[in-house]
Amino acid sequence: MQKKLEQILMPVAIKLGNNVVLRSLRDGFLIITPLIIVTSIFLLIGNFPIPGWTEFWSGILGPHWTEWFSAVSNSVFSFTGLLACFGISYAYGKNRGLQGIHTSAIAIISFLILTPTVVTVGKKSIGAIQTMYLGPNGIFLGIFIALVSVEIYRFAIKRNWRIKMPDGVPPAVSESFDALLPSGLVVLVFFLIRIGFSLSSFETAYNFIYTLLQQPLKGAGNSLPSVLLYNFIAMLLWCFGINGPTITNSVWSPIFFVLTQDNLTAFQKHMQLPHIFTQQFIDIFTTYGGGGSTLSLLIVMLTVCKSKRVKELGKLAIVPGIFGINEPIIFGLPVVLNPIIAIPFIIVPVLNTLISGIVFQLGWVPYTNGVMLPWTTPPIISGWLSTGSWTGSVLQLFELVLGILIYYPFIMMIDRQYLAEEAEAAGLDDVDINFDEI
Amino acid sequence: MKVIVLLDQIQAGLGGKEKGDTPLGGKKLAMGAADTLDKVLKKMDSEIIGTFYCGTDYYQANKAEVNRKVAKMSQKMGADVVIAGPTYDYPDFSTMACELAATIQKETTIPVVGLTAIEKNADLIQQYQDQITIVKMPKKGGTGLSDSIDHALRLCKMKVEGADFTDFINQYCY
Repeated sequence: MQKKLEQILMPVAIKLGNNVVLRSLRDGFLIITPLIIVTSIFLLIGNFPIPGWTEFWSGILGPHWTEWFSAVSNSVFSFTGLLACFGISYAYGKNRGLQGIHTSAIAIISFLILTPTVVTVGKKSIGAIQTMYLGPNGIFLGIFIALVSVEIYRFAIKRNWRIKMPDGVPPAVSESFDALLPSGLVVLVFFLIRIGFSLSSFETAYNFIYTLLQQPLKGAGNSLPSVLLYNFIAMLLWCFGINGPTITNSVWSPIFFVLTQDNLTAFQKHMQLPHIFTQQFIDIFTTYGGGGSTLSLLIVMLTVCKSKRVKELGKLAIVPGIFGINEPIIFGLPVVLNPIIAIPFIIVPVLNTLISGIVFQLGWVPYTNGVMLPWTTPPIISGWLSTGSWTGSVLQLFELVLGILIYYPFIMMIDRQYLAEEAEAAGLDDVDINFDEI
Repeated sequence: MKVIVLLDQIQAGLGGKEKGDTPLGGKKLAMGAADTLDKVLKKMDSEIIGTFYCGTDYYQANKAEVNRKVAKMSQKMGADVVIAGPTYDYPDFSTMACELAATIQKETTIPVVGLTAIEKNADLIQQYQDQITIVKMPKKGGTGLSDSIDHALRLCKMKVEGADFTDFINQYCY
């Protein structure tokens, strides 16, 4: 069974994992993730989920203190489309063997070429760019521009369309001239694209991509079956030793990213949060202690199991586990290629996804606010911070306990097996190998 | 076939990176990642007679002593073959595994099989591939783990039985 599954899954996993476009999307989003986490902290301080928080600080710091914090959070959240374009064009350019800095510079220019630069205020038209085009709604346009501009740039580089400088010219100067003709070609193509759209009923590339791509994909990804499938595949792959989320994120991450940014924008504007299935939902309400929701497993190992090996590993891995690090369990128990533990390792996150999805749909817990917390934030705290409600923590606690009940019979099977081995080994002189006698 | 497996603290199930100071030790049973090997070995009428573990920081600070003791103990326990790994792409563990494997091969008659990923270890593999046989394996989270374990154990069997494994090496080793 395991072999057959592996034969089916492996080629798909290899194809997805090696696909340069999907890999670049994933890597590109990773480039801007630190910025999102850092600025999220500023957003959270400005909107801390305690009643009377804003009023309390206004009394001390003055009525405009939240603007100081929103200046920082807006610096990233109002420009996620542009930043996605920057990160993905860098990663894609690098993965295509080009100079990442050149490809991301030309992608940003291409983005700006396609962005409307006139804003009508009353009867007057002024030269300005609306952040509407550069923020979350521009993410898919950013992805499209990143991929297309790099391909055009590569097209020219491959044909050696460059201005060759004589030997002795400093590398920085010659690299700059190398990029001249390929950059010119990219600019020309996007110039024509802009003209094309301005003559069509869409008027802008933004309208075209947003209507035909971003909205439909958001709808498809923003559903319980989609998130269940995401977690099922991710966990199943981990059981074969493959880093499942790396593969699944290459497909889902653009969608989750957009959904999360939508919630964040609404949170900033104190509007109703639109989506349930955000990146936060996945990270904070489906797994606890890392892939497989192994914090539940660790609690059973620590409190109920009797074999020395399991108990000892439980003791060593519990603290990292609380902070979402489960490497010691994945390789030390081990989880990989372990058919017994594979069953709850898949069931628990999938069941958590189902329960959380239903609970959020019923409105028992407020939707996640899109604030990206550091991934090491422990459960209970993360549930509260991401929803601004204690009910988020209660849901996490419930699912942690449920995970304990599901993991219990399976880890006990392993524990009994290890106990028998340890008893058998105790019949030997000593199970420990004494290197001191050498 | 009596097998000894060499692991670091993470693969032995003794904690994470922070436990790199774990001293050299061992148990006469399959620990951590060795348990995965043991399941396949049992189907081959073979067994793991010992798992040796050593923290990677401890190893760096006590190289000479650990190399001497591991080689001697492998001999004393009467192992038919020693498996160094699986090390995935952990560079410190891969270094320890290659160095220990080379010592065992040099100072005993016991055959050794390494199991290492090329990622982060390209120079190391280049340095050791002529001295010891290192089976190719995926990096942490990569595809093909199960196959690489099968290859390593098949190579162990060939070495113990004295079979010709030249073609096998060309196909599955560095």
